[in-house]
Amino acid sequence: MPGPLDGIRVADFTWVWAGPTCTMQLAHMGAEVIRMETSGRICTLRMLPPWFGGAPNPNRSGYFNQYNQGKRGILLNIASPEGAVIAKRLVAMSDVAVENFAAGVMKKLGLNYEELVKVRPELIMMSMSGYGQTGPESAYVSYGPAQVPMSGLSQLTGYKGMQPMHVGMSYGDPNAGLHAAFAVIAALFHRERTGKGQYIDMSQWESSMTVIGEAFMHEQMNGEQPERDGNRSQRMSPHGQFMAAGDDAWVSIVCTDEADWQKLCRVMDKPELADDPRFRTLADRKANEDELEMLIMEWTLQYDPFEAAAMLQAAGIAAYPPLSNKQVLSNKHMEGRGFFVEKEHKEVGALRHAGIPFRMSETPCEVRSAAPVMGQDNEYVFGELLGMSSDEIKSLTDRGVIR
Amino acid sequence: MPERALADVTVIECGKTGAAAYAAKLMADLGADVIKIEPPEGDPARALGPYPGHKPHREKSGTFLYLNTNKQGVTLDIASAAGRGVLDKLLAKAYVLVHDFTPREAEALGLTYDRVHAVNGDLVMTSIFPFGGSGPERDYRAEELTLLSAGGWAWLNGWPGMPEMPPLKPYGFQTAYQGGVNAALSTMGALFARQRGLAKGQHIEVSVQECIASILEMTLPMWSYSQITAVRYGNRPIQPIEMFQCKDGAWIFALSIEEHQWQRLVELMETPEWTTWEVAANRFSRASNWDALRPFMEEWVSQWTAADLYKAAQEKRVPFAPVSTLSDLINSEHLNVRGFFVEVDHTEAGRLKHAGAPYKLAGTPWEIRSPAPTLGQHNRQVFGERLGMSETEISSLTKAGAV
Repeated sequence: MPGPLDGIRVADFTWVWAGPTCTMQLAHMGAEVIRMETSGRICTLRMLPPWFGGAPNPNRSGYFNQYNQGKRGILLNIASPEGAVIAKRLVAMSDVAVENFAAGVMKKLGLNYEELVKVRPELIMMSMSGYGQTGPESAYVSYGPAQVPMSGLSQLTGYKGMQPMHVGMSYGDPNAGLHAAFAVIAALFHRERTGKGQYIDMSQWESSMTVIGEAFMHEQMNGEQPERDGNRSQRMSPHGQFMAAGDDAWVSIVCTDEADWQKLCRVMDKPELADDPRFRTLADRKANEDELEMLIMEWTLQYDPFEAAAMLQAAGIAAYPPLSNKQVLSNKHMEGRGFFVEKEHKEVGALRHAGIPFRMSETPCEVRSAAPVMGQDNEYVFGELLGMSSDEIKSLTDRGVIR
Repeated sequence: MPERALADVTVIECGKTGAAAYAAKLMADLGADVIKIEPPEGDPARALGPYPGHKPHREKSGTFLYLNTNKQGVTLDIASAAGRGVLDKLLAKAYVLVHDFTPREAEALGLTYDRVHAVNGDLVMTSIFPFGGSGPERDYRAEELTLLSAGGWAWLNGWPGMPEMPPLKPYGFQTAYQGGVNAALSTMGALFARQRGLAKGQHIEVSVQECIASILEMTLPMWSYSQITAVRYGNRPIQPIEMFQCKDGAWIFALSIEEHQWQRLVELMETPEWTTWEVAANRFSRASNWDALRPFMEEWVSQWTAADLYKAAQEKRVPFAPVSTLSDLINSEHLNVRGFFVEVDHTEAGRLKHAGAPYKLAGTPWEIRSPAPTLGQHNRQVFGERLGMSETEISSLTKAGAV
């Protein structure tokens, strides 16, 4: 059965993490995604660890290989005039073009929407720069890690009384990529109904703020910034990460109401706590939360975190150990659901990667192949798709256009 | 009236975590016709706040107001036979049903694909489940915090090297937002497939745990490629990627990804001696010696105000970023020139600026046409005008407690 985007072709000008996350979604859904790269300016992710085997090697980067699964890859120096012409020929055969350079870069290359739409009138073009295409800071440079502090998320995240925090990963990137993929398919849907393509200006900064929308309400309703409060909640208690037996071992536990709290007291074999006036209601538990957390930790410290979580879940309480990267990859539940992907890659073999977090019953999505090594699909794209002779390809290679 | 990408696409939304509400908001803001079904006592987000003056009021919850723009709201007890009959009538005319009940709750409510498919064979049904629809932990209880742990995000956030500091929750409802954007994306794919005749109705199953596990930066391959366990505060193979406090008390995010950016940063710092040391020679050596180098950078930053440093760095195309407060963002000139915040007038909550468009589609604008519905605001319109129910029928349903 074909994927939902079967037969759709994407000219992929993206790099680093945000743009490639967008086009990877389209590839998972069945689009043919052709990623243009150049050895003159190798994708940042290829030049970051982890590299299989340890030594820096652009074809062995796990970071790159995770977020470029299912795509084709070619070498094309789009900064050369001839390269830009070839890129346009590819766009002329594509339904979608996606880029995430800083605003103005595509125009400098002669590859902005106004130029591309001349060769492909029904084109859908997605630009996903850090700041968007307009506004006084539009030419500023940005990367996903900066979107976390810029969006306001850092000022909202942190331990009580301590400094603003990052969130531990470059959240602005995948968040922008997923929103962008949604917008692209909405535009494809519209094109299917009307025949019309369009241009989409996306700002990674702005898409990072749409996932903290309620915080802006707080600021306006009360003229204050919500206080950083660690793992606690105003509406539920206990609500935290509790130290368990083992090295850096924790278990997260949430009681949503009094019934959960009473269940927790029974699991801890301290039924008397349920009637303890310090902890009887949510207001009581919030007023004595330090004490409450110490009491729970006395219990959790006796158990392996997975054992504690299993006991709590058996009693119907929301609990889970914070999984490390290693533990995510060996998680039996996700493994049993077939979430992980091990596609054969030319240089690293069949290593484990994250797959697709949704299943579609009639138009299945699928990780079709491992990420491409550099220039893997030159022959297919330049020869088969664009109809160039091997002499032409050789001459373009010699002149540094294909490189 | 502008063209809308999702005009005439009727979406029925119900649930409780905010994930389905965000998925439906993404569609509603591009023009879909969304009917939000709330239980007679109201959506749980009405009890989340934030509220003006911190005083709970079901029509003034900031979370509810933000997540439910452009929707029609009805109250319906879908667990009752009468209520279910009404739901089936709505489903018969809809394109999409999106919900975020757990598998057990969905089964108890009869919100299974078989049953829904029998009512409308063309319907796309999207189920957002915490752990997916299969697997040994399918029925585990889940809350935001425990899902951050189960997906592997919590492990990455927090202070490193401080054994008493727990893995830290990022602010807000990030697992719900990620479940929502993945649901919107896959639903859009199914609508596109339907429009192209690739499939009729289908069932989409989203796992929120997997939504998180699929965006963990480079940390999963860190294990599968290099057998390195990720540490908290993210793994930073390169530096600087760090927040510092400036002389005016505001914070700046000091970021340099590429070496050419570092060279320009060194120029801005006027080439202090430490930048010439061998340990500062490249981004990897700076990261491995960051404990020694960090104080120099911190001292230099502390001589600036955050606003001046941001501007000075960006003028040299170094991707520094502000660590924004909410009021910084609401007052940002750049965001205001782009019209990011959108003022929405609500009959009970008054005028509030909402976080706006995550993307700007040139041909089919993102727009807010109406504020979040008050409880049961559109009962008459939906049940009467759309379904053709008489006043008597509606009032007998009301008496029976179904509406």
